[in-house]
Amino acid sequence: MIKPNLIFNNFKDAILTKYGPNPAKMLIYTGVLGWFLSSAAQVTAIAVNNKIPKEQKMFLIPQEIGDGAINVLSFFLVTSAIKNLASKLVSTGKLANPKIRKFLRDTGLNVKNGLGQTKFNIESMANFDLIKDDYKTFKNGCDVIAMTVGSILSCNIITPFLRNKFAADRQKKTISKNYNYAMQKLNPPKGISIDNYKKQASIKFSSPLKI
Amino acid sequence: MTLSVNNIKNFSFMSCCEKFVNKANQFGLNLCGGKNKLFTIKSDSSNNNIAWIGKNLSSAENRLILGASALMTQPFIDASNKDVDSETRRISVCRTVAKIIAGTATGFAIRKLCIKTIDSFTKSPSLLSPDDKFKKLKTCLSPTLKYSPDEFVQYKNALGTLLALGVMLFTNFLVDAPLTKLLTNFFAAHGGHHDKA
Repeated sequence: MIKPNLIFNNFKDAILTKYGPNPAKMLIYTGVLGWFLSSAAQVTAIAVNNKIPKEQKMFLIPQEIGDGAINVLSFFLVTSAIKNLASKLVSTGKLANPKIRKFLRDTGLNVKNGLGQTKFNIESMANFDLIKDDYKTFKNGCDVIAMTVGSILSCNIITPFLRNKFAADRQKKTISKNYNYAMQKLNPPKGISIDNYKKQASIKFSSPLKI
Repeated sequence: MTLSVNNIKNFSFMSCCEKFVNKANQFGLNLCGGKNKLFTIKSDSSNNNIAWIGKNLSSAENRLILGASALMTQPFIDASNKDVDSETRRISVCRTVAKIIAGTATGFAIRKLCIKTIDSFTKSPSLLSPDDKFKKLKTCLSPTLKYSPDEFVQYKNALGTLLALGVMLFTNFLVDAPLTKLLTNFFAAHGGHHDKA
């Protein structure tokens, strides 16, 4: 029988082992989830706001859906890519602090025999424990900075540009679809063809006597 | 070169992806200052700042940074969107500013509060004195595995952020969305008509 206490302990330990040594990873995953929930709420907010005209809603709702989808995707892809690059810069020894650099120099490593190559990883070195604490502190800092820069780039620059394009396209399509639908539903009075009816309506509308 | 059955077996989608990722990573690394260049951050203050950020920047501060930078970019991007008419553009800017303010304020406050709350239930058993009351409650969210002090801080941040996401399931609808609506209407009413399409 499965014990709830055991499941809870496993959950806590999984959080510790997964995110304890890697805070940037936690920020990315929870960020993705957070953007998703926030977008769902914003779409609802526009839909129930009576003070926003219907025509503007046709722009704002797709804008929000596009914003949410693009936000989640670009946040995940761009932020992950930048964070991974920062991680690789540190783990391959291309970027280091003086203590890590001295450690690498003492072990006889340089650019010709592996440093800066993706195949090389400081964490796989036999004597890694000698530098472990300094390395982890430096790497976590670089990861979190890269994650923050990545999220600013994706959420505040890439997403607004893309979502505006997406929402404007949707608005144009929706307006033209509504116009065509209204035209199809137009019924002329008995004895007049639709073409004549449209013609007469436009004459009457633009008549100087009406003004 | 001959194509044997082993060649076909070794050729898998995953290995192709792995090779591609490795090449992309190497390309990214080489872009940073060239192929044979190594970088060392020598300044003590820079290294201290990097260490401090890695240890102390939680999701709450991250949300605040994101909100502040969003205010500096997003309204201007919306204001220069020529694909829509001027009135839609105006409402869009008002909504973007309102959304950033409401989202950042509630997001920061809830994350900070949740991390603080989690902290009260994740006391390290070794730090509690025998006379302490509610010991079980104070340690109920502490992990069972061994951990370093830094890992423990990140664990509390992660748990606090997860709790915040759960809380935000409700506050997004109950606080965020109504506040965004209120601010949008306020900005729309006081924003004025500034340009033509």
